[in-house]
Amino acid sequence: MTKTALTEIIVAVVGVVFLTLAPLYLGAYWLGVLLQLLSWVALTESWVAFSGLSGYVSLGHAVFYGLGAYIMALLWQEAPIWQILPLAGMASVILAIVIGYPALRVRGPYFVILTLGLSEFIKYIVVALEAAIGSSGRLLLGTPDPEVLYYLLLALAIVATALTFWLSRSRWGVGLRAIREDETAAGTLGVPVAFLKTGAFALSAFIPGVVGAIWVMRTTYFEPLELFSPAVSFSIVTIAIVGGSDQAPGPILGATFIVILSELLWARAPQVYLVLLGLLLIFFVLFLPRGIYGQIAAFYSGKRR
Amino acid sequence: MDTLFSSQLLVAMLVLAAVYALIALGLNLIYGTMRLLNVAHGEIMMLGGYVSYWAFVKLGIVPLISMLAAILLTAILGALCYLTIFKAVVRNRALAARLESNSLLIFFGLSIIIQNLLSLSFSADPRSYAYLDAIIPIIGARVELNRLVELAIGAAATAACVIFFRYSRLGLAIRALIQQRDAASLIGIDAEKINLLVFSLGFAIAGLAGSLVGMTTAISPFGGFSYTISAFIIIILGGLGNLAGGLLGAVLLSFVEIYGVAATSSAYRSILVYGVFIAILLVRPQGLLGRKSA
Repeated sequence: MTKTALTEIIVAVVGVVFLTLAPLYLGAYWLGVLLQLLSWVALTESWVAFSGLSGYVSLGHAVFYGLGAYIMALLWQEAPIWQILPLAGMASVILAIVIGYPALRVRGPYFVILTLGLSEFIKYIVVALEAAIGSSGRLLLGTPDPEVLYYLLLALAIVATALTFWLSRSRWGVGLRAIREDETAAGTLGVPVAFLKTGAFALSAFIPGVVGAIWVMRTTYFEPLELFSPAVSFSIVTIAIVGGSDQAPGPILGATFIVILSELLWARAPQVYLVLLGLLLIFFVLFLPRGIYGQIAAFYSGKRR
Repeated sequence: MDTLFSSQLLVAMLVLAAVYALIALGLNLIYGTMRLLNVAHGEIMMLGGYVSYWAFVKLGIVPLISMLAAILLTAILGALCYLTIFKAVVRNRALAARLESNSLLIFFGLSIIIQNLLSLSFSADPRSYAYLDAIIPIIGARVELNRLVELAIGAAATAACVIFFRYSRLGLAIRALIQQRDAASLIGIDAEKINLLVFSLGFAIAGLAGSLVGMTTAISPFGGFSYTISAFIIIILGGLGNLAGGLLGAVLLSFVEIYGVAATSSAYRSILVYGVFIAILLVRPQGLLGRKSA
């Protein structure tokens, strides 16, 4: 265990150093790829912190991402960025508490479809609001350089990973896993089920809110149908499944894998890429349900014995 | 207010309800018997729609005949899906422990594959064709003939399924499996065979629905998603696995869609549909006719 932990720490330190220096030697194209990678890592880590541990599969994480982007677009040039970013995160947390308190009473497939429904509901409310105001998309002028956004996202990805790492080892994480295995039994044994679930849901909403707010500065254009798109939620789940959805390193591996695949194929053959993504998803669920990280971890622990 | 009581809206609602009832039935069957969440349902509909579209445009075969081909093709696809993937999933202990979310992911993978294969083969353009579009006056409303055909076949197919589940041995066996899976196996119901049948039947119903929908509405590779969502809303409203509840849910959702839009504006369609869905689920988490269970 100490040896693998040491290897993981070394890999993490080397990775962080590499990523911190990256803007110095990478061109605009690769910086763009890394921006994408970091935002997926941050989004998926926050998803794993709640859904991966508790087993409550949320198909609505796009709503927090979209809300963060919306708040940034609304307040753009009305307030300084460093104030809008935490505000976007806090707004997502509040939304998560409002949604989560009633929604977390339903389990299994009801919860999955309910989160998707809630996310779509809020998306169409934003669309209607924007239409009522008479705005068709909002343009953000004078956004910060990609390098600035890069360091913001890097910090966020590190925070998100650390959060999942800490949560998965804490008492809280143990409680969430107990809920995943058998919620009724966990409740009977004195696990504060409702509190842990709602708390983790709220906590996991903060990061997507901030990522959305940063990402809309990158695209410089707010379009609700795109930013609240269920495709965002689905991608998060796919990355989590491919990488491994129970441990902090999983989403990093999953996001790296998917971003590389998409760079290789997306521009040349988007449909082939998506077919491949579908096949991969089925393959991982059927044959590697613990994801890439789970597989690597199992390989090493098997070797030690 | 006068328009709300027009027979035009009533007919529109009935047409939508017939299609919704059919789609929801196919989804409910697969969920009810095996606890699998088929999020590729809408894509299978689109497959059925494409069969009828190409049969009409290339071969001049009318949808009334080509829907049989759509049923056959999707039924075979359903059987193949069960035999190659889901037979193993249902049996595998590790996968079966979280069957619902795992099946959702597998079917989601399948739906991306179907969408993009359709888009690769036929382009992403929406397709529609003119067939039986003469306007018929009926109970004071003016309706295209193809909508009436859609209503008639949709209602007839739903009724046929209801009769099948009420009176035939096989239909009763499927319902027994939905109610008490283990007990049904104990009294000699061959669960494996029924699973295969349910997969073919559930997919075939989607294929038929797609073929019907394609007569009146444009179909496209990515057009299935909204039908999948509607079907899920319906079966959750009615209670998952509850076939009668699904019929009620279909009527309710089509009522909200048609009358809600008529009373407000088409821009609010999605807000109304999701709003009613969320409200009902929060008040009655087990669905309107669902029984409270773990």
